[in-house]
Amino acid sequence: MEALGILSFIRNRWVVFLLIPLFISLPFLTPHHSLASEMLIFAIFAMGYDILFGYTGLLSFGHAIFFGAGAYTSGLILIKLQAPLFVGLLGGIFVSLMIALIIGFLSVRIKGIYFVMVTLAFCQMFYFIALKWSGLTGGDNGLHGVPRPSIGPIHLDSEIRLYYLVLMLFVLCLLLALRIVRSPFGRALQSLKSNEDRAKSIGFNTNHFKLISFLISAFFGALAGGLYALHLNFVPLETLNIMTSGDVVIMSIIGGIGTLYGPIFGAMLLVYLKNLLSAWTEQWNFIMGILFITSVLTLRRGILVEVKQRLFHKR
Amino acid sequence: MDIQFIFIQLFNGLALGSFYILLSLGLTIIFGMLGVVNFAHGALYMLGAYCGYTLVQVCSGNFWMAVILSPLIVGFIGMVMESTLLRKLYDLPHFYNLLLTFGLMIFIEELIQIIYSPMGKPFNTPKELLGSIDLGFMLFPKYRLLILGVTTLLAIGIWFFLVKTKLGAIIRAGTDDSEMVDALGIDISKIFTLVFGMGAGLAGLAGVLAAPLQNIFPYMGMGILTETFVVVIIGGMGSIFGSILGGIIVGELITMGVIFWPPLANTLIYIFMAAVLLLRPRGLFGRVKFFE
Repeated sequence: MEALGILSFIRNRWVVFLLIPLFISLPFLTPHHSLASEMLIFAIFAMGYDILFGYTGLLSFGHAIFFGAGAYTSGLILIKLQAPLFVGLLGGIFVSLMIALIIGFLSVRIKGIYFVMVTLAFCQMFYFIALKWSGLTGGDNGLHGVPRPSIGPIHLDSEIRLYYLVLMLFVLCLLLALRIVRSPFGRALQSLKSNEDRAKSIGFNTNHFKLISFLISAFFGALAGGLYALHLNFVPLETLNIMTSGDVVIMSIIGGIGTLYGPIFGAMLLVYLKNLLSAWTEQWNFIMGILFITSVLTLRRGILVEVKQRLFHKR
Repeated sequence: MDIQFIFIQLFNGLALGSFYILLSLGLTIIFGMLGVVNFAHGALYMLGAYCGYTLVQVCSGNFWMAVILSPLIVGFIGMVMESTLLRKLYDLPHFYNLLLTFGLMIFIEELIQIIYSPMGKPFNTPKELLGSIDLGFMLFPKYRLLILGVTTLLAIGIWFFLVKTKLGAIIRAGTDDSEMVDALGIDISKIFTLVFGMGAGLAGLAGVLAAPLQNIFPYMGMGILTETFVVVIIGGMGSIFGSILGGIIVGELITMGVIFWPPLANTLIYIFMAAVLLLRPRGLFGRVKFFE
């Protein structure tokens, strides 16, 4: 009986068991090892973003703020204080959460379309701050020389080791995100998305829930940002650009919003594609624009679902 | 700092505000009617500038011809966008259309960047508009005066069109309840296309008028798009008067910020926006309907 139980456990989750070796060997499958880290970093960013966009139904164009603030703060702490790695990451998360608290407080009271515009405007503001405050941030040149402190005896100078650190954090994030969306709290978020007035009338403080969802997504974004700083050894000003916000939106749409796995897949696919195509064309952004338009028009449920539908259920 | 200097700067702020007014009027009308926040608005503004550049510098045409033709061309492009792409998504949640216009923005910017190169292009002020004019209490550049005049006339014209004409009445009715207008036997889809074309045309006009004041470059629309969003957030979505007042406030804040506190010049408008959001989330003249 015991063995049968294990068998059915494996049968129900065969995809997961296929994915484990894939993720472990990912850096050896990509053109260069560091690309695998970048894929997972954006996957962390996108999965957090999905809790806000896919599950709570709030479209934010300001998430570059949290990614960028996480990257800059972690980078600065590691450079200026020579702090241990996790102190740097936690510092980035802390500062991002403070910013998210202020922006979230100002914007969750505002509904629908207004929310998009307000978050976008704040994104531009932080971009300008980082651009002008060049004494601290390096301005247009970005923040150079972010070190990768060792964790105990483990040196992170090799891209492979950094990848496994990112993978470990990615798995932790995924477990956390799954825990959140499957909890009663996660259900409440989904009820906001489908009918906010009704959620309010049965007694939920909806603004409260929206703010917490905003903070959760900022947390994931900041962690991803901090890891991005480690990955590049440098923080480009573009991390705060509105296009970074746009990137995470399109990753979510391509992968399929409100599924967690979808945006993870979308992020990995897009980062991989970008790397692949940048090798033979300089017009990546042009392709990105076309991708954006076609996926909004035709891939709204996510590329996997849409392709499956079109292949197996011809209509 | 003498009074004359302050006056000139105040007027410069108004001239800058004019562009925000032209852009936010279009944005507001489109949003009111179609429920779409047009992210491509900045790209259409840039397109207006490049139309003007092509007509004047490449085809060596007349500046006045460019001022009239560019908005028409951009308006036509807007109408094509609406009737071929945006139309497909009206039945879905609004944010899909917003994302579509974001994609169109990237597409248009990159296309122009490929055709004209990412480098900035100089655009000369027409000779007859160079120099200043004596207003009695100060000297003011002729060209900026023209911008102020055109914007004032247009704002009055748009108000007149919306409030006094039959088509305007239909548009206002459509803003309140487009399904009802449709049910009353008016082909609302044609009105949608027209309104989007009008908004795009206004953006194109702002672009061609702004061209002589700066070098034009493919990404010039992104910055002004966010500033226009700030205008609409401050003034309130769906209000013509809100657009005008918001445009003036943002124009003045930027111009004055540059003089009095340069490092914060770009940030000032966002701080003001945050204050408005805190005290009056729907903006100074925002209609409750759009806020809900």
